[in-house]
Amino acid sequence: MTQVGVDRDSPARRPRPVPLRGRHGPRRRAWVGLVFVAPMLALFLAFRFLPAVGAVWLSLTDYRLSGRWKFVAFDNYARLLQDSLFHQSLVVTLTYTLIFVPLTVLLSLGTALLLQQVVWQRGFFRGVFFLPYVTSIVLAAVIWKWIYDAQDGLLNAVLGLVSIGPIDFLGSDHSVLASIAVTSAWKGFGYSMLILLAGLQAVPRSYLEAAMIDGASAWQRFRYIVLPQLRPVLFFVLVIETISAFQVFDAMYVMTGGGPVRASYSLVYFLYDSGFKFFDFGYASAIGIMLFFIVLIISLIQRRLVGRDD
Amino acid sequence: MKSTVRRVVAPLTALVLAAALSSCGGGDDTGSEKKSVTLWMYPVIADQAASDAYWKKVETDFEAANATIDLKVELQPWDKRDEKLATAFAGKKGPDTVLLIPDQIPQYVKNGSLEPVGDVLEADKDKFLPNAIPGLTVEGKVYGAPIYHTVTTTLYNKTVLTKAGISKPPATWDEIKAAAPKLKAAGFQTLDYSASPEATLNLNFYPLLWQAGGKVFAEDGKSVTFNQAPGLDALTFLKTLWDEGAIPKSALTNGNAIDNQPIGKGQVAMAFTATPANAALAAKSWGEANTEVGAPLTGAKQVGYGIPGGLSVNAASENLDETKKFLSFMTQPPQLQALSKATGYFTPRTDAKVEVTDPLTLKFGPALQYTFPGEPNPAARQIMSLLTIEIQAVLTGKKAPQQALDDAAKQADELLKR
Repeated sequence: MTQVGVDRDSPARRPRPVPLRGRHGPRRRAWVGLVFVAPMLALFLAFRFLPAVGAVWLSLTDYRLSGRWKFVAFDNYARLLQDSLFHQSLVVTLTYTLIFVPLTVLLSLGTALLLQQVVWQRGFFRGVFFLPYVTSIVLAAVIWKWIYDAQDGLLNAVLGLVSIGPIDFLGSDHSVLASIAVTSAWKGFGYSMLILLAGLQAVPRSYLEAAMIDGASAWQRFRYIVLPQLRPVLFFVLVIETISAFQVFDAMYVMTGGGPVRASYSLVYFLYDSGFKFFDFGYASAIGIMLFFIVLIISLIQRRLVGRDD
Repeated sequence: MKSTVRRVVAPLTALVLAAALSSCGGGDDTGSEKKSVTLWMYPVIADQAASDAYWKKVETDFEAANATIDLKVELQPWDKRDEKLATAFAGKKGPDTVLLIPDQIPQYVKNGSLEPVGDVLEADKDKFLPNAIPGLTVEGKVYGAPIYHTVTTTLYNKTVLTKAGISKPPATWDEIKAAAPKLKAAGFQTLDYSASPEATLNLNFYPLLWQAGGKVFAEDGKSVTFNQAPGLDALTFLKTLWDEGAIPKSALTNGNAIDNQPIGKGQVAMAFTATPANAALAAKSWGEANTEVGAPLTGAKQVGYGIPGGLSVNAASENLDETKKFLSFMTQPPQLQALSKATGYFTPRTDAKVEVTDPLTLKFGPALQYTFPGEPNPAARQIMSLLTIEIQAVLTGKKAPQQALDDAAKQADELLKR
């Protein structure tokens, strides 16, 4: 029989912390912990932190293919702020983010809520929804390119049945970003769905049961109990999906090449072209650093709006 | 505390020492004075098994003839090849030798990444096709040893043409313009084209520009000329066909390919820069009897795109002599003939002929005389990416052809001045 009104993790049931032995207990544990995390820490420093520091240094130089360089201080940043391509790619990235993030979060949350209701074969359905996440984005992009094909794509064939179209989804600057956002959302929502599902399962059942007894509707339970409880998880999902949106490149590279007429030319695409087509490594690094600060500022705003109590 | 640290550190130290000792042991085993030469090769042989077999034989034969050299052939994908090379060259790393084509070479020469290889070819230089060595030459120095020569030309789907009531495949711009309405009435498109920003203009706009009598660059290479009258003719020709629905709309995103593209599906009548591999694929889809290979298109001039593929040498190679020995080996008739048979490309040497038996490949031979290898310039690839966007702007109706060409020329000239 379930004991209504008592939280399973109430202080009365929590195990007592085991006292540490010896005079230098905490310090000893810190050393042992450090030894265990040292390999990971070394890898992180070597392959994440140092390249990031290197990118900051590169952004202050005019490093080119020849390997010759000179220190140019903030010239790359000044040039970037005046570059119309930077402005254009920033607008494209922001527009894409505004489509992709709500779409992915709603899709993830909706699927997580549905999955929570599923009793029969929940693991199977969870696996099915997670499957696109472990699929290669290049493969997904190629398949979606076929689906969107203006001439004989699957979507136009379906729309044709109700006398709509054909629509050139990837060839029109009005629909290209939404089309790519749908592909990316399909590919990536499984990860956020799992996180939200875990968050939903952590909402104390006692609260929901108490609300039900008080006569709250399903919407009221979601609005006043589930959503506030989910806020830390939602904040995390919002941040990772926003970062993922700002880093969009592969889907655009495969599906449109940044076109038509740079309508899907993102900041990372601009960075890629500057570095690997124009071999302007210093400038490309400045774009990367600028991208970092843009994402940081947006994450801080999100934290203020969504995760302020956490 | 000490015992805990010891328990953790001791096995780690043992592991590190064991790894270090084992690597030292490996060094003793291979203690000969062999020098290694690494080649980055790309899928010029489309069939994976045939490619593996050919390059394995090259390794075996070369090492048998040069006991002190260890040849390593690393097969790389075409995709992002310049990105990988640029990164390697920038770090003074990368292969000792790599396959490059004419418009890739100048940018690496400008940055001092390539070693001249004229001395390798000196003895046999008169035995190469007229465009082979000049196509791999920058500012009077040869930077590539030719190992094959490609040719592209027109490819027709006879079924489509017959259904549209066209008995003679269109061979000139005027004939294409005349055929387009008939093909449209029969439910087909006329010309395969790729306007994707990631597609090379060498297989798309540039042949039309050259056929119109134009050039990409001025003679001194310090400015562009594609916005002059021939460029306008070429872009207007393209725009007219686009507006008439004679080019598939998916051209904005699709690359130059046969498989899963409108041309491969039998929806388009012709391609104008097809390779022998394209023709073979098309023959599988359309049937060999319905596949026709023609001469390069004629506008004001008859020009096709065809290039030598050459082995270039990394200036940072520690084994330059050994690498040049390999280039010398690769440019000898037996290697070139075997490569030609495996690739379907032509040999770049006139004294290394290969008897072609495939009837479709045979038809590419006459097109060789019309091939133009493109215009070498350090900024060739970058300028392509600027011009492609402007061509898209024309096709999607955002700019008039002259305006788009002028805008691209302005950006290109600024780039050339840097």
